[in-house]
Amino acid sequence: MDDIVIAILRSGTPLVYVALAGVIAQRSGIWHLGLEGLMITGACATIVGTVLTGSVGLSLLIAVLLCALGSILFWFVVEVLKANQIIAGLGLTGLGLGGTSLAIQAIFGSQGAVSAPAGLPKIGAAFGAYGGLSVLVLAMPFVVFLTWVLLCRTRFGLRLAASGEHPFAARSVGANPAMMRLVALVIGGGFCALAGAELAAGSLQIFSQNMTAGRGFMGFAAVIFGAGHPVWATFAALFFAIVGAIGIRAQLVFGDRIPHDLLLGLPYIATVFGIWLSARLRGGARGATGGFGELKDP
Amino acid sequence: MSANFSAIIRAAVFIVIALVLCGLIFEIAGYPGVQTFDAIIDGAFLRRNALEHALRWALPLFITATGVVISFRAGYFNIGAQGQFYVGAICAAFVAEWLKGYPGAVVVPLCFAAGMTGGALWALWPGLLRLRSGADEVITTLMGNFLAGLLLVYVTAGPLKDPSGSGQQASSRPLEAAYRISTSNGVSPIIIGIAIFVGLAMWFLVNRTAFGVLSGLGGRNPTMVKWQGASVWRIGLASFLISGALAGLAGTIELMGPNGRLAGGFLPAHGFTAVLIALVAGLSITGTAIAAFFFGGLASAALYLPVIAGLPSAAIDIINAAIALFITAKSRFVDRIASFWRRPWTTS
Amino acid sequence: MKELPGVVLASRNATVRYGDVVALDDVSISFSGGMIHAVVGQNGAGKTTFARMVSGLVRPAEGSLEINGRSIAGGNVNDARRAGVELVHQSFALPPSFTVAEAMQFGADGGRLYTRAALERRWQAHLDALDVKVSAGAQIRTLTVEQQQAVEIARALVTDASLLILDEPTAVLSPEGAEKLFERIRRLRERGVTIILILHKIREVLAVSDTVSVLRGGRLIDGPLPVADMDAERLASLIIGPSGREFAGDDLEALTGALSPVAGGADKTSAPQSEILSMRDLSTRTDGDGPPLNSVDLAVHAGEIVGVAGVEGNGQRTLVRAISGLADIMDGSLEIDGRDMTRSSLLARRAMGLRVIPFERNVEGLSLTSALWENWSVGQLLGRPLHAAITPKGLRQGCRAALDNWDVRYSTVEQRAGSLSGGNAQKVILSREMDDAARLIVAAQPTRGLDIGATAFVWEAMRDARRRGCGVLFVSSDLDEIFDIADRVVVMLAGKIVGEFRAPFDLASVGSAMTGARA
Repeated sequence: MDDIVIAILRSGTPLVYVALAGVIAQRSGIWHLGLEGLMITGACATIVGTVLTGSVGLSLLIAVLLCALGSILFWFVVEVLKANQIIAGLGLTGLGLGGTSLAIQAIFGSQGAVSAPAGLPKIGAAFGAYGGLSVLVLAMPFVVFLTWVLLCRTRFGLRLAASGEHPFAARSVGANPAMMRLVALVIGGGFCALAGAELAAGSLQIFSQNMTAGRGFMGFAAVIFGAGHPVWATFAALFFAIVGAIGIRAQLVFGDRIPHDLLLGLPYIATVFGIWLSARLRGGARGATGGFGELKDP
Repeated sequence: MSANFSAIIRAAVFIVIALVLCGLIFEIAGYPGVQTFDAIIDGAFLRRNALEHALRWALPLFITATGVVISFRAGYFNIGAQGQFYVGAICAAFVAEWLKGYPGAVVVPLCFAAGMTGGALWALWPGLLRLRSGADEVITTLMGNFLAGLLLVYVTAGPLKDPSGSGQQASSRPLEAAYRISTSNGVSPIIIGIAIFVGLAMWFLVNRTAFGVLSGLGGRNPTMVKWQGASVWRIGLASFLISGALAGLAGTIELMGPNGRLAGGFLPAHGFTAVLIALVAGLSITGTAIAAFFFGGLASAALYLPVIAGLPSAAIDIINAAIALFITAKSRFVDRIASFWRRPWTTS
Repeated sequence: MKELPGVVLASRNATVRYGDVVALDDVSISFSGGMIHAVVGQNGAGKTTFARMVSGLVRPAEGSLEINGRSIAGGNVNDARRAGVELVHQSFALPPSFTVAEAMQFGADGGRLYTRAALERRWQAHLDALDVKVSAGAQIRTLTVEQQQAVEIARALVTDASLLILDEPTAVLSPEGAEKLFERIRRLRERGVTIILILHKIREVLAVSDTVSVLRGGRLIDGPLPVADMDAERLASLIIGPSGREFAGDDLEALTGALSPVAGGADKTSAPQSEILSMRDLSTRTDGDGPPLNSVDLAVHAGEIVGVAGVEGNGQRTLVRAISGLADIMDGSLEIDGRDMTRSSLLARRAMGLRVIPFERNVEGLSLTSALWENWSVGQLLGRPLHAAITPKGLRQGCRAALDNWDVRYSTVEQRAGSLSGGNAQKVILSREMDDAARLIVAAQPTRGLDIGATAFVWEAMRDARRRGCGVLFVSSDLDEIFDIADRVVVMLAGKIVGEFRAPFDLASVGSAMTGARA
């Protein structure tokens, strides 16, 4: 039983962090499909930074800064240049995936996987079987709680939500929706960096190309499934992780009778299911995105 | 048309901005920016046979991109061209495998039918989820891409596995020579003919049918079309099916033309590039043809770069991504530049 | 009670431009404290722009603002709020998913971190002190429009506002609701709050305000004038201007909101003919867009204009959707021209001669980013199969002819619908919906936001349709216009039809039916 819980926490924690980033962006009125790109940037920076500097803490800081930088770029494009959020988000994702490949090639001369000498600190033997988990796993519930307080129990959170839901209302009480979105995206960028760091350096200490494999998009789906609420989105992210763990478990049970590759697809199917269910429960999605920007009526 | 003209100027300006951003990234990564672009242009359009190579990549990209145009125009963000492309190729490969030994004149058309049907079916389920339940098609089609990628890996390592294959990447058994529609250079009269036919048919569909007008209106404002009593459901379903079928068609061409077999994760950037082509073209079919050629050149340069310039092929992915980041941007400044050239007799 | 200051608000040579459009032109005006000031004018006169400029939402291109003796830079909401200005918007600026307490909190000072219970306690006390009978824990979207307005006024008073601006507050209210609002406003005046009311009905100006100022075409025509020596006729001519007279004709009083309390029925022509629309006992499923219809019986005859009155949000939208086949009908029947259409699609209903001018001109009526000819030709394309070939040239020609026929001012049929003014955009819709085959025309708020000339044009178009023998169902929340052009009025309340009136209409009895006071 312990090993299943550990597997779920390991695969679920990055999803939770990235989902929180998506929730904050969503509340401020941005559909953030660049999460995947920021997440892989965070993963790459953590591992490469550790290899080059030897310090996990320093490289985590670099990862957060890089993701914040990427978030500012994204904000500039969607807020100042009014680009379509979905397309620009996919562009940011592509930039992250391509940029990390290029960085690996430029630094190590090959595109193979990079392993770091050290990973994130572990929570330690005091936690028994769970001692091998990283501190970010331990921190996760607290981060979720703090995010909930920030979004649902402060005036900042109210103004953030108003910026997304009714920007004119936010403006008429003196808030600046564009700035609120910048803050939201930068905070979210930090969470993406943590998500990437946990994915790459939480247990394996390896970075390989495209290793996020759609987890950023799943985190985004968790935002929708969780109705933009930090706690519900966390549960949605953990649900996707549980489905993934069941797939791995099923492999052990059924062996070769079910093809391995198709079991790997279970989390994606769960994601589609989550999107479908939330659409059924709460009506159609994409309300606030403004569709095609120029191609859609205001 | 001043509106089109300013759109072209705007696209050009933002592509330049995107390229500057890329140059910066290349510089930071330690590749001199100017030389990099030099190598890319050389690889894409200037070296010997470059135009033919560009065409080899441009033709399937064009076909997939026209499909993307159809669904984007109707207001559906079908990002799943990659998955539909894979599933189309897989279906065609199965048909070719089952009917092995029958004459090419029978098998090839059946393969095409299977490929288009497969692509259409892979677009059908996100379409139904969207149209019936409102499930956002961006996420479902993206997930469809990952699922199709896994399916491809499974097929190439399982039912269609080439036993003689070696190395890391599994691939399927090669197609019989009689079923190939081109050599590995990927340019043949059949493929060019198909692309031209698709281009003409889609141009007609967009510009000369009720579907074209209604889907364009619906893409910009679905509510208005609903209040007019048009069947949003039928327009939407047709858009999904057509775009899926065209991506499947491109997958079939890749299989039966240049590739000759399936390999796990082949042409991983095809779908995204096609989306980009459609957007750069401003969702017009003629523009798509031009943009496809440009991005086809970039795609062929991607193979050439590591060999000649020591640049990773990811450089092309970065260029594509940066263009995607900026291509839908709007700027009053750029609009003013564009309006400077506006001919006085057209008003807007 | 505070000491009354002299001048509370002064603007000098204020000019506001939106792109090339001058919305407010060189306005110099000053308002003294402790009074209720009315600012009137037709739609597009610059009233809302004035309110937004004062509250800092819009930056004046030229000129200066002084509030309570302090010079204000303009274009900064926080500055204006600090100086004591609060604006209550016409369509309220309250995020629908917020609770009342949250909507108060997000504009308030202090309380950066809170618990839900403390928040609700704090704001419930505030609401009670203002005599607003709403629970602080209620979600905004569950409130009626009157409640939302009361909450928005309470929100505006969370800071110590000394100048409260209300932008067209009566537009969404019943006559009785407006009376209650005026009562509330008078109480605020007693507390020393200065109030600027943006209005467009002369009757209301005369009833509530101390002074009146008139805007026309972005310019200040006159004011502030004491209301005591003002009469309806003079005010009407100030609002409408010399050139407006010719549009207005006999409709002048209805257009300026000066209709006498018993009015209408002057141009009723013939006896009712056959029923074009008959709804019997119709009920719809709840669907989140206003209350569902509850056993609605409604008939529209040929050559008749039936007005649907009611406070907004009482099922008018559902009614229009039910007739258009866009609502889920649970019970009852609907016939168009004697044929049962309860389960038919909008397409089939259109084939029977149904035409719809929907509520939201810019969303439901037109695709703003599409060309005019595309917007117009939908009507031509609907009957054909999707793959049918079309000739864009022919459609453009047809569009040109139709638009010229309806006197639309446009430069080319390629131009985007969004580049037209509100009145011209509405005419494009009329040209599409009021064709010769029209039998039943559903016009939902067709004059909202239009200036007097365009409003008179739309009214004339509806009268014209009646003359040709169409049945017209005319939904509006403006009783003046309903009284002026409808032959018969039904009143909707909470998804039911609660009253039916024939000309001459009595404002008091229709008004009380709107609030359910009448038995």
